[in-house]
Amino acid sequence: MASFIDFRNPPGSDRRADDWIRANSEPIWVRRVLIGILLLFFILFLGMPLLVIFQGALAMGVQTFLTTFTDDNILHSVQITLLVALIAVPSNAAFGVAAAWAVTRYRFTGRALLLALIDLPLWVSPVIGGLIYVLIYGRRGYLGPWLQEHDIRIIFALPGVIMATTFVTFPFVARSLIPLMQAQGCEEEEAALTLGASGFQILRRITLPKIRWGFFYGVILCNARAMGEFGAVSVVSAKVSGMTNTMPLEIERLYNDYLFASAFAVASALSMLALITLVLKSIAEWANERQLVAGQKVLLEATINTTQIHPAA
Amino acid sequence: MSIEITSLSKSFGHFPAVTDVNLRVDTGEMVAFLGPSGSGKTTLLRIIAGLEFADSGEVFFDGENVSQKSANERKAGFVFQSYALFNHMSIFENIAFGLRVAPRSRRLGKEKIRERVLSLLETIQLSGLESRFPVQLSGGQRQRVAFARALAVEPRVLLLDEPFGALDAKVRRELRGWLTEFHNTTHLTSLFVTHDQEEAFEVANRVVIINRGTVQQVGTPEEVRSAPSNEFVRDFLALD
Repeated sequence: MASFIDFRNPPGSDRRADDWIRANSEPIWVRRVLIGILLLFFILFLGMPLLVIFQGALAMGVQTFLTTFTDDNILHSVQITLLVALIAVPSNAAFGVAAAWAVTRYRFTGRALLLALIDLPLWVSPVIGGLIYVLIYGRRGYLGPWLQEHDIRIIFALPGVIMATTFVTFPFVARSLIPLMQAQGCEEEEAALTLGASGFQILRRITLPKIRWGFFYGVILCNARAMGEFGAVSVVSAKVSGMTNTMPLEIERLYNDYLFASAFAVASALSMLALITLVLKSIAEWANERQLVAGQKVLLEATINTTQIHPAA
Repeated sequence: MSIEITSLSKSFGHFPAVTDVNLRVDTGEMVAFLGPSGSGKTTLLRIIAGLEFADSGEVFFDGENVSQKSANERKAGFVFQSYALFNHMSIFENIAFGLRVAPRSRRLGKEKIRERVLSLLETIQLSGLESRFPVQLSGGQRQRVAFARALAVEPRVLLLDEPFGALDAKVRRELRGWLTEFHNTTHLTSLFVTHDQEEAFEVANRVVIINRGTVQQVGTPEEVRSAPSNEFVRDFLALD
């Protein structure tokens, strides 16, 4: 019954981990070798590819790089990618909050199933994700005849691309919120309820502010994946340049057509989007951390002050 | 406000948390639910608040059946053991919360809200700390803010779940005295949960001793101590 909450070491604070690292310090040569291996790995597998993309993009000169983005088909692929992200990300954000809310606040039959379903897109290959949609909405799929009768085209058209992307990016927001909301518990929401707040007021004034950084983090991750998705989209898109091609698909087309400079140019643009995402993600993590640390520091000062100034407080 | 509970039962899965509880609390009383950990006293309090719903039985506020009403309709002032303050809001906003979320027709103006919050801060002796955040306060201060927040909406009943549970002995004693004084001046019907008999006997007019989800004895501190109704009560209070 006595649920004592340790405010000074909230879940997620890493004091113990820090101590552990210090207590188990390795000799200096071991650390150097380990760091060396790590660095080598980073350079070979992460750093160099990124550099090569930009090098390849600019190999034929800045002029070629710039003219790439005057090509109608390529511009169209950029538009499609942004449009897909613009629809898939907000839908998954809304769904993610709803799912995380349901899973962490209620115990209901089918809860375990819902949790498993949220993870499903992470478990199956994106290609399979795309194929499932073809099997359901394709010409010979379960809903195919009906869709054809009503002249609705999903597969090999934009709706299919959006749906496949939504499927693949389904788990990210929910996944980043569930552990956070589980750790926070629901006492603040209960308190708001006894003060007369409605469900919507609680969501807007209590729950969302509490999870905002975790939410932001999930949305950024979701966005990165939505813009970069290849497998699922390549199955449901007819790969018609200028029609249903997203940036990753367009890169493949350009590459297969031996238009290396253009392929690298589009790839570098996509990489830039990824890098921007990475910066935003770091800001989100940093802000989250800062909030936590500031809270702890202030708490420490407050404890010292109150014991000095108001010994009776 | 008077509270009446009739044949209330609630179980979590196969575990019976509260079994056939009948109780009447009159207007202005201060009643303690006393019992060991896991005896169901907190569950009982949460059912009264509407944070938990009973499997069977009824809850009446002033004769009105509120069993089917949700917590935000019942608006019983509830104080949580871990305070449950809104950490992302200042102390001022914490206390003002209940006033801000009131339906537009009943909502106070900005100035009125400010007045009410500042006067409550004075009551809990924390004037001048309104722009601080909960993490900047000590445990005792936070608990008092939680009181003020619950009182801001002028509840007709105050429900306290182990209100001093997470505090050290000294702060505990002070807040206990403060609560008694508060009750003596306002006569707000109050129910509080505790596993500390000293606390129960000192603060409450009447004590409800609970074990394994059932009421063992109800009476004034003197009655309970002088005539324990059964072996459990005698044992729990360490009487011979």
